Amino acid sequence: MFQRTIVTAMAMTLCASTAIAQDLPQASSEYFTAAQANLEAAIAREPNTNQATNIILFVADGMGVGTNYGIRLFQGQQMGLLGEEHNLVYDLYPNTAIIKTYNINAQTPDSAPTAGAMNTGVKQVFNTINMADTVVHDDCSTESPLRLFSEMLSDAGKSVGVVSTARITHATGAAVYAKTANRNWEDEAPEGCTDIATQLIEQMEAGVIDIALGGGISAFAPEGTELAVGSGGRPDDANLIERAQAAGARFVYDADTLAAADAGAPILGLFSGSHMSYEYDRPETEPSLADLTAAAIEQLEGNGDGEGFYLVVEAGRVDHASHGGNAYRAFTDGVAFAEAVALADEMTDDENTLIIVTADHEHVISFNGYCGRGTPITGLCMGVASGQVEHSGEPALADDGMPYTVVSYTNGAGSVLVEQEDGTYAGSRPEVTQEAAMDPDYLQQALIPMGSETHSGVDVALWAKGPWAHLFGGTMDQEMIFHVMNHAAFGAAE
Amino acid sequence: MNRRAFFATATGAAICAPFVASPAHAYEEQVRLRELYNNDMSFTDFALEQEGKRVAIEGFMAPPLKAESQFYVLTNRPMAVCPFCSSEAEWPNDILAVYAKRVVDVIPFNVMIVTRGVLELGTYTDPELGFVSRVRVVDATQERV
Ligand SMILES: [Zn+2]
Repeated sequence: MFQRTIVTAMAMTLCASTAIAQDLPQASSEYFTAAQANLEAAIAREPNTNQATNIILFVADGMGVGTNYGIRLFQGQQMGLLGEEHNLVYDLYPNTAIIKTYNINAQTPDSAPTAGAMNTGVKQVFNTINMADTVVHDDCSTESPLRLFSEMLSDAGKSVGVVSTARITHATGAAVYAKTANRNWEDEAPEGCTDIATQLIEQMEAGVIDIALGGGISAFAPEGTELAVGSGGRPDDANLIERAQAAGARFVYDADTLAAADAGAPILGLFSGSHMSYEYDRPETEPSLADLTAAAIEQLEGNGDGEGFYLVVEAGRVDHASHGGNAYRAFTDGVAFAEAVALADEMTDDENTLIIVTADHEHVISFNGYCGRGTPITGLCMGVASGQVEHSGEPALADDGMPYTVVSYTNGAGSVLVEQEDGTYAGSRPEVTQEAAMDPDYLQQALIPMGSETHSGVDVALWAKGPWAHLFGGTMDQEMIFHVMNHAAFGAAE
Repeated sequence: MNRRAFFATATGAAICAPFVASPAHAYEEQVRLRELYNNDMSFTDFALEQEGKRVAIEGFMAPPLKAESQFYVLTNRPMAVCPFCSSEAEWPNDILAVYAKRVVDVIPFNVMIVTRGVLELGTYTDPELGFVSRVRVVDATQERV
């Protein structure tokens, strides 16, 4: 009966559904009215079948559904909210999908083949980038390169940009322009293969890549060369910065030189020796991810041909912070990522710009219970209070009588099992105060001892808006991202 | 050059009179390693004020570069060795080089320790290891917190 009424109400449009609402005792609840408003928006929504002039692919490295949840609460709490009710800017995008992330030969993926899948439309081999499924990791002679989305778009007259807070030669960024049997060949490769930094400059010379902004300057100049930031580390004597400049690219290396760069020619921006800083540690001279994203959009739009662009933006260090077992930096870099998405969204038009926000893989992060509303997401799990709304202020206790943090990692450097003098591992859960847990340098308790916390094979989410974003839905394989982008850019015109 | 002379003296003194340089710990400022650096990697006022004085710095002992050494690197957070983060030995900026009084008993990388010794500022390249440091604690002892 109720079910049928709902169906009828929906068929009869909004007025009827509002009428139903008024009859229910819960109808005046804010939760109810907010959900009704969202329902109205969903009913009114129409698919955007325009051809996509611009496509922006945002990838937060290592930000699966769990990590995204932590970032959401962290930003909400920074804003003075309890946290749970908050939404990150892309949480509200109309189209979402659950994304499977496995690699051809790995249940637990790494960032190279996952980003490669997004850029080629096929799954790839663990630790390789943009090679056919016959490639053998680390074997130069087996390289069999695929064709990239960036190359297809460049041929169609579009501009292409890549931005990352990791080294620009690191997996996710590299997958936009490079093809390699080993993701670690960033500054040197065996005879017959080409290192990733050199491939970037080749793609700039070929006109495929117009803008590359990130860290990792050391891969672009010979060992010992003094550079604007850091020094060179290449084993050969190639100065790739000079080579890019000779090909007409402008070189920028800090927030000021980035801001001063005019639109037009290609830009190579390298802002640190290796990875750029975590947002929490970032000096003012280093641009933020939002700064980099805005500069890239301005430059790509300023290319002036009106053909549009493809831009990939990676928050590379959400991943690194979790590898280090430090949720605070994972969440602060995640907030910086959300700010970059928000800015890109403001600078572009939903009518002609497809924005996709996703991750390459998840980590072994988990969230303990039962915590009350507003429990600080990087702190101790506080009890649920009877009477509403906020938590009790008293830490929940485990069976050992001690409190525990909301976040923990299943493995990693925060392990409670510590190496003993005889080489065995032993230990117990230390007592943690709220002050210690909330410290930005705190490592959440972990179980399995490992020098570096690992990725997880768990699904990630994808959020999208703009032309053909409605093609995303349900549970999808990661390579579908390429296929939807490809359709949005080319298929719609056919 | 001066610095190396200083090392010789400091080490020599430590060997001849191991108990001389052990003032009561209560007189040393005990701080986290992060108190030495600003975000732009300049030294903090605290670091500048403590130069040449005995300090106690909390941090983590990075896995040693070589066995049976008096040298180790103190890191602000446990030094995760991540195959996906760095392809070669790559140090964070905010580290502290430590020259201990005697050969170091290795402490696991994720156990917090306190390192006590004399704070030195300024770039120095270790003649043997080639390790370049911007800040050091010399004549050091270390223990678990
Ligand atoms: Zn990773």
